[in-house]
Amino acid sequence: MRALGLLLGLLALGGSKPTVYAAASLTEILPRLQPAARYQFAGSDQLAYQIQQGARADLFLAASPKYPARLYAQGLVERPVVFATNTMVLIVPRANPARIRSVYGLKRKGIKLVIGAKGLPIGDYTRKLLANLDLTSVLANVVSEEDDVKLVVAKVALGEADAGFVYRTDVKPVRTNVYRIALPAKGQPTVAYEGAVVRAGSHKTEARALLRRLLSPAGRTRLRDAGFGLP
Amino acid sequence: MRRLFPLFLFGAAATALVFLVLPVIAIFLRVPPGTLLRQLDDPVARDAILVSLRTNAAAEALLLVLGTPAAYLLATRRFRGRSVAVTLVELPLVLPPAVAGIGLLAAFGRTGLLGTSLPFTQGAVVVAIAFVASPFYVRAGIAAFESLDRTLVDAARTLGASPARVFFRVALPLARSGLAAGAALAFARGLGEFGATIMFAGSLQGVTQTLPLAVYAQFARDFDVALAVGALLVAVSFALLLVVKWAPSVSTSTFRFAPSVSR
Repeated sequence: MRALGLLLGLLALGGSKPTVYAAASLTEILPRLQPAARYQFAGSDQLAYQIQQGARADLFLAASPKYPARLYAQGLVERPVVFATNTMVLIVPRANPARIRSVYGLKRKGIKLVIGAKGLPIGDYTRKLLANLDLTSVLANVVSEEDDVKLVVAKVALGEADAGFVYRTDVKPVRTNVYRIALPAKGQPTVAYEGAVVRAGSHKTEARALLRRLLSPAGRTRLRDAGFGLP
Repeated sequence: MRRLFPLFLFGAAATALVFLVLPVIAIFLRVPPGTLLRQLDDPVARDAILVSLRTNAAAEALLLVLGTPAAYLLATRRFRGRSVAVTLVELPLVLPPAVAGIGLLAAFGRTGLLGTSLPFTQGAVVVAIAFVASPFYVRAGIAAFESLDRTLVDAARTLGASPARVFFRVALPLARSGLAAGAALAFARGLGEFGATIMFAGSLQGVTQTLPLAVYAQFARDFDVALAVGALLVAVSFALLLVVKWAPSVSTSTFRFAPSVSR
């Protein structure tokens, strides 16, 4: 019985590394910034839900202020801070089977457009962007709603989808497979990343250190090099 | 010691049972049944029910039409490579669904081997379901055809029935209950199909979003809907399991011929 308790304890603590629940769009940059952490990358809405359900996270880094604010209001996390911004782009496969040259080309019938699901930050930003550009009609061309931005990237990079809305920072890792199409500035929604230390976390010191690191000059340089904007 | 062992058996069995049943019961206890039923009227749930029904019906039809002759062949003919063929038929059974999804993309994706435009269509859902569910049906079919009373088949043949006639008029009716059980199991597996579908067909409400995909899509957004859909799946799966358990006892041949001397 004691052995079982010890085993469970080990599983729960997992050494001295903080557990970071982070938006999928941070997949590439975070491990480079802080290798000594455990990362769980997914849609910010799912991560927020898991933290609400008592997941053992120490730090929550979301691609939108919405979910950190919600968890803060519920007393589950400390006060959130903005640490980065981002811009949206349209990506198409290198072969560009649908010959899309601008966002307005998405109106054509039969185009296979992949976007993020509603409630997921990239999904909500995409809908806002299309509304800003008066292009909500292209939603009729959506063939799949994915649960995190990297799944949108994958479907386009594979060449299965004709186009997808992602963050600017998502392009670099797949730049041999996709083309990036810039979007009109007037349509861009404000994309802000917020981080918050989870109150129930067992590695709050490490979590705070990582958040500070993201806000430090070195962290900001890393973020900027990866294509993020700075608040 | 002698008294302890039965106690241990009971204890272990009870623990296992509680462990297995608790998550299922929890789905129904979390919200009142009325709320659960009302949530099924949510557009996401309604669309998912329709998509699941349509795609599973199509996949099941595909299985019956292609799987039944395949099972008959594998059960009644002995040929070189037969055991390899049987093993290959069973492969999707042990294949992780995510691997099945990748495989389907690599084979039927736009940039895949065959280069089809299946992904993101309801047809892709049907293909994914048929792929993962087929072993359940074909295995049951092989077993059913193998356990046929050979004397009946031989009698039909000596009486001049063609092989096709034997298949349709003798083998098929006799194997009926075994085939039905296999079909029910395959349906249950197909209804729960998730990994291959989400990778190969994507997820879009009303088109490719089946019930399990709806549970996944809603669990962080509208937990009650996810619960309701989950409860529905539990109920249907349980009903299908009962069908499987009871089907073999509804035997189609109530009388048996004495075994022939040659056996």
